[in-house]
Amino acid sequence: MKALAWLRTSSGRALVPLAIVVLIGCVFHQNGAFFEWSTHRAMLREISVLGILACGMTLVIVAGGIDLSVGSVMAVAAVSVSLATMPLGLGGGTAAALVVVLGTTLGLVSGALIARFRVQPFIVTLAMMVFARGLAKLLAGGKKVTNYVALPDGSSTTVDLPALFRAIDSKVLGDHVSVVTLIFAGSLLVTWLVLARLTAGRYLYAVGGSYEAARLSGVPVGRTLVLAYALCGAFAAVAGICQAAQETHGDPETGAGYELDAIAMVVLGGTSLAGGRGGVGLTLVGALTLGMLQKILSLNAFSTEARLMLTGGILVFAVLFQRPWQSQQ
Amino acid sequence: MLLELVHVSKVFGSTRALSDVSFDVRPGEVHVLAGGNGAGKSTLIKILSGAITDFQGDLRVGGAAVRFHAPQAAVRAGVATLHQELSLIPGLSVLDNLLLGERRSLVSAWRGGAHVAECRTLLERVGLGIDPRRPVETLGLSERQLVEVARALRRAASVLVLDEPTSSLAEPEAERLFQLIAELRAQGKGVVFISHRLDEIFRVADRITVLRDGQVGFSGPASELDQASLVEKMAGRPLDASNAASSPESAGVTLAVSHLASHPELDDVSFELRTGEIVGVAGLQDSGSSALLRALCGASRHQGELTLEGRRFSPDTPRAALAQGVCHLARDRSESVFPARSITENVTLSSLGRLFPTGLLAIRRERALAARATEPLALVASSLAAPAGVLSGGNQQKVALARCLLAEPKLLLLDDPTRGIDVAAKADVHRLVRAAAARGTSVLVASSDLDELLALSDRIVVLFRGRRCAVLSRDAFDRTRLLALAMGAEAA
Repeated sequence: MKALAWLRTSSGRALVPLAIVVLIGCVFHQNGAFFEWSTHRAMLREISVLGILACGMTLVIVAGGIDLSVGSVMAVAAVSVSLATMPLGLGGGTAAALVVVLGTTLGLVSGALIARFRVQPFIVTLAMMVFARGLAKLLAGGKKVTNYVALPDGSSTTVDLPALFRAIDSKVLGDHVSVVTLIFAGSLLVTWLVLARLTAGRYLYAVGGSYEAARLSGVPVGRTLVLAYALCGAFAAVAGICQAAQETHGDPETGAGYELDAIAMVVLGGTSLAGGRGGVGLTLVGALTLGMLQKILSLNAFSTEARLMLTGGILVFAVLFQRPWQSQQ
Repeated sequence: MLLELVHVSKVFGSTRALSDVSFDVRPGEVHVLAGGNGAGKSTLIKILSGAITDFQGDLRVGGAAVRFHAPQAAVRAGVATLHQELSLIPGLSVLDNLLLGERRSLVSAWRGGAHVAECRTLLERVGLGIDPRRPVETLGLSERQLVEVARALRRAASVLVLDEPTSSLAEPEAERLFQLIAELRAQGKGVVFISHRLDEIFRVADRITVLRDGQVGFSGPASELDQASLVEKMAGRPLDASNAASSPESAGVTLAVSHLASHPELDDVSFELRTGEIVGVAGLQDSGSSALLRALCGASRHQGELTLEGRRFSPDTPRAALAQGVCHLARDRSESVFPARSITENVTLSSLGRLFPTGLLAIRRERALAARATEPLALVASSLAAPAGVLSGGNQQKVALARCLLAEPKLLLLDDPTRGIDVAAKADVHRLVRAAAARGTSVLVASSDLDELLALSDRIVVLFRGRRCAVLSRDAFDRTRLLALAMGAEAA
C-alpha cells in the first residue's frame, strides 16, 4: 500500500478520475481523433469560459461560501461589453475594464451582504442571480446585442465586430492555442497567486475552515469574505466578455446554469464545499476531467441525453472517490 | 430502595473514571452528589441515565438488577435525567419536545390537541405560563431550562436526576425548582441532585455523597457536614489558613479592568494585571470566566472601563484587540485550530499582517519563522507542512498557543489552555506560559482545573455568577479555600 500513498493526497485523488477519463479516451479514440492536438485545443477552448468562472468559484468555496450568481453576472458582462463596443463604439480595453468593474461591484454587493448581515451565501447569491439576470435583460432591451445597430436617424447598419472580440476568438502560437484558453490560464495563475502567495489567501482558508476561529485569531473576516465574492464577480465578468466574443453578440440569456458547471468543476477537483481546503490546481484537474469527458462522449457521437446522464454518473463516482480514505488498521 | 448502584467501576481507555462506587436513592429523599471536576460525577450520571451501558457492577431498580441498554430504557424504568446541556430541539414546539421519544399513535401525533391541556398543566407546575404549541426557539434560556424540567418531571416515575439544574436559571425560577423538589420528596420520589453551589446543596440535601478521583470520599446524612467540611471532603485535604510564600514584586500595570460587564454572563468585574504577571481566573462553569476573556479580546459586547498600558482600550473585534497586542486562545479547539491547514499556516495566521505588511507572502521566511516558533513546543509532528488536524489534541493546543506567542502579545488571554490534554503536553503549555511571562507578557488564564491555577498563577481572581468574589495572592493560595470561594462560600 505504501506505493499508493500518493493516492491519499488530495491531488492524487483528483488525478485518478482524470486518468480514468484519459484511459477511456485512449480506448475509444474514434480512429485516432483523440490523439489529435486539434481535439484537445477545441476541448480547452470549450472549458475555458466555465474554467474562468470556476477560478472565482474556487475562491468563494475555499472561503466556505458559494456563488450562484456567476452565470447571471456573466450575462450582464456579455451584454454590457457588447453594448459598449458595438452600439456605443467604445474602445475594447476601456469597455473590458468597465465591465470588469461592473462585475466586481455586483460581487462586492453579494459579499457585503454576506459579511455584514451574516446571511447565508446561498440565499444572497440566489437573489443576486435573479437580480443580475434581470439587469442583463434590461440592459439588452429584451434582445441580443449584435453588431446590427440602430442609427440616430432610425435606419440600421452593420458595424464591424470590435477588435476585442476578434482578438479573444482567435488562436495564437501557430494556431495551436486559443486566446480564451490563455485567459483561462491567466485566471488560474491569478487565483493561485491569491490563494498561495498572498496573506489574503491564508485568510480565505481560515474563514472557510472556521469562521469563529478565524475571527478570534484576528483575521479580518468581513473584508476577506467581501474580497472572495468581489473577485468571483470579476472573474464572472471576464468569462462574460469571452462568451460575448465567442458568440459575437451579447445574449442576456447566456450563462444560465453555468454556475452549476463551475461548482461541479471545483468539487470534481476535490475542493471541499465545506470550505477551508482545496486549491486552484485541483480546479484545473476538475475542469480537464469534465472537458475531456464531454469531448470523448461527443467524439463517439453519444446523444446529448446520454452525455448528460453519463456526466452525472461520473460526477457522483468522482466525488465518492475523493472522500478522505479511512486509514487502514 | 428506588435505585441502587452496587460496586460500580468504569474505565475509559487508561483512566479510571469510577472505581467501586456504591450509591443509592431512597423514596422521599434528596441525595446530593458532590465532587470537583473530573471526580466522576458525569460518568455516574451517565450510568444512571442509560447513556453509558458497559460498566462493571450492578444497577438495581426497586431491588431488581437491570441493565439500561439505552437512555429510553432508563426513562421506561422511571428514572428521568435533567442534563446540564440543553437537549431540546429548537424547531419543534414545546409540546412536541415534551412528548419526544414517547410512543404516540400517528393520529395523536398528528392532532396533538389531546396533549395540549395536559402539557399546559405540567408547564404551569414548573412556573411557566406559556402556550405549549410555541416553538422552543422563541423561548429564552431559562424558559428552555424550565421546559427541560417539565419534561423530566413528566418522565420521572420514581427517580429524578438533576445535573446542575440551576446553572441557567435566575433566582425566582430556581426558587420554583426547589419547591418542586420538595413536592417530589413529599410524594415519595427520589431525587439525585448535582450542584457546585454550597448554599443549594445544604438547602436540599438529605444525604450527601462526595466523589473524589472516582471514589466515594464521603457518604452520609447531610447533617454530618457543614460547608467547610464538605469542601474539605471534596478537596481531600483540610483547610489550611496560612500558606506563606513569596509575594510577587510590584511592576507596571498592563491591564486595568474596572466595572466590566457583559450581559448576561458577566457583571461588574474589576481587577488589575501587572507586567509579566500571570493571573488565574477561577470559577465554575457559569461563573463568567470565559465571558471575561472574550470581552477583553473584543469578541463580545461589553460595558466598563478598560485601560491597556495607560491608554483607554475598548476593542470591538478580536482583530482590533490583536492590533493593540491582545491575543486570545479559545477554550474550544475548534475555535483556535484549523485542522485542514498546515502547522506553519496555523502558527503564522495571527502575525501575517505584521510579518508581511505588503500582503505578499515570503514562503521561505514564513517557514523559517514557524520553525523557530515551534522549536520550544516539543511538538511530535512529522513536518511543519503536515495538517494540524493529524496532531494529537495536546500538540494542536501547543500549535494554537504558538500562534498567540508569535504575535508577541502584551496581554495573553488563555481560556482553559490545558483542557483535555495529556500530562506531558500540559507541562509544556505551562512552561511556555511561564516563559512568555518572564519575557514581560501579562497572562490571564481561566481554568476549570484549580491545581493548574494554583501552580501557574501569581494571583487568582475568583468569579462566582459573573461577579468577582475574591482575589487571592500567592501567599493566600489554598486549594480548599479556592474551591469554597468558587462554589459561593462567603469570602473569609
